[in-house]
Amino acid sequence: MGTAISLDLADDLPTAELTGLADGVFGWLREVDARFSTYRPDSEVCRVDRGELAVADGSADLRDVLARCADLWAATDGFFDAYATGRLDPSGYVKGWAAQVASDRLLAAGAANHCLNAGGDVRVRGRSASGRPWRIGVRHPWDPMATCLVLTGTDLAVATSGGYERGAHVRDPRRGVPASGLRSVTVVGPDLGVADAYATAAVAMGVAGIGWLDRLAGHQHAVVTEDGRLLHSAGLPLTG
Amino acid sequence: MRRALLAITGLAASTTAMVVLKGGPDTTQVAAQGLPVDGRPVAPGAGSAPPEATAGARPTPAGGTASPRPTRTTARPPASRPGAGTRTPSAPRTSSRPAQPSTRTVTGPVVENEYGNVQVQITLSGSRIVNVVALELPAETAQSDQRSEQVDDRYSGTGGLVVQQQSADLDTVSGATATSESYRRSLQAALDRAG
Repeated sequence: MGTAISLDLADDLPTAELTGLADGVFGWLREVDARFSTYRPDSEVCRVDRGELAVADGSADLRDVLARCADLWAATDGFFDAYATGRLDPSGYVKGWAAQVASDRLLAAGAANHCLNAGGDVRVRGRSASGRPWRIGVRHPWDPMATCLVLTGTDLAVATSGGYERGAHVRDPRRGVPASGLRSVTVVGPDLGVADAYATAAVAMGVAGIGWLDRLAGHQHAVVTEDGRLLHSAGLPLTG
Repeated sequence: MRRALLAITGLAASTTAMVVLKGGPDTTQVAAQGLPVDGRPVAPGAGSAPPEATAGARPTPAGGTASPRPTRTTARPPASRPGAGTRTPSAPRTSSRPAQPSTRTVTGPVVENEYGNVQVQITLSGSRIVNVVALELPAETAQSDQRSEQVDDRYSGTGGLVVQQQSADLDTVSGATATSESYRRSLQAALDRAG
């Protein structure tokens, strides 16, 4: 197991500065891993799950993340659930949140043009080194080497959830069974953690998730159904 | 001078990190030769079967006088029909789509409720519903009216488009990539290698 992080810094800055910025991003993500990993027995999340650590005594990040997960649970009618697996697992929010924080920090540090991909969750700002807005493919849900859509923009958070990933089936937390109906859901918005949680919630909802996504304010979406239909909101920032 | 960086860190499990620093002005000139050819539609299941038009299925005028039973308008006649002795039932009349399950359209009854009349038409491919069209929706309830228009505006038809593969000059790929193993098999990994 592991998550691949790809960072593309497109600003015309000295090498040492770029290296320092990248080190800062990866240092932050390792810090998040140490604090939130469900695979590390000594992480704060595992200690809270075992009852050894009260949330109020945890780090500010932990308290913030769990409060946001509670908000998202309410905002998604319970379909985004950090306890969906029966134990505390906020990973569905943490990955996008951590990448969003890293992107915010890069922007504040003067790297206004970058693309950060954390395990398929993407935050882009500014333009690529070629000078054009970033181009983000959405993975084809039946072919890992292909895309089914290409999005473009200068300030986008793009998160995709799907049932196609082996070993990472999204569960319907209300019925306690694997979700079905939607093969892949992509949500585009301003915040990557929220977009990731919304995408996961919509997959958990199944076909009803399409109507739910349609009512979301401030977000765009694309859905691929299990029978191979592609639906997307009219405002999705497609290329061409 | 621009830089592209790639690292694999263990948000899930591992603690090791790999950082690759690459230089040169064309670090983001992502080579697309490894991408599949575009325009090749994939057909998972029979989802690509287009709903066949049925000219006879029109909305029944409101008034609740419609037949309570569904009126079935088949786009294609059943394969075997009693009395059609002069015709071989299994003879393919059109050879263009021999393997597809039959597509048929079923129009439901007009149902009255407190908001008005509702009538729905569904298209089936085999036993699977591939399209649903509301032939009649309540006109007096502003919210439901707005809702149906909104959906029509936002989606290109209730059935949507068939998923197609695309190839493009990409910077990155969004996908449900949970493990390092799935990352190794991904287009994003290919882009990182090319970058």
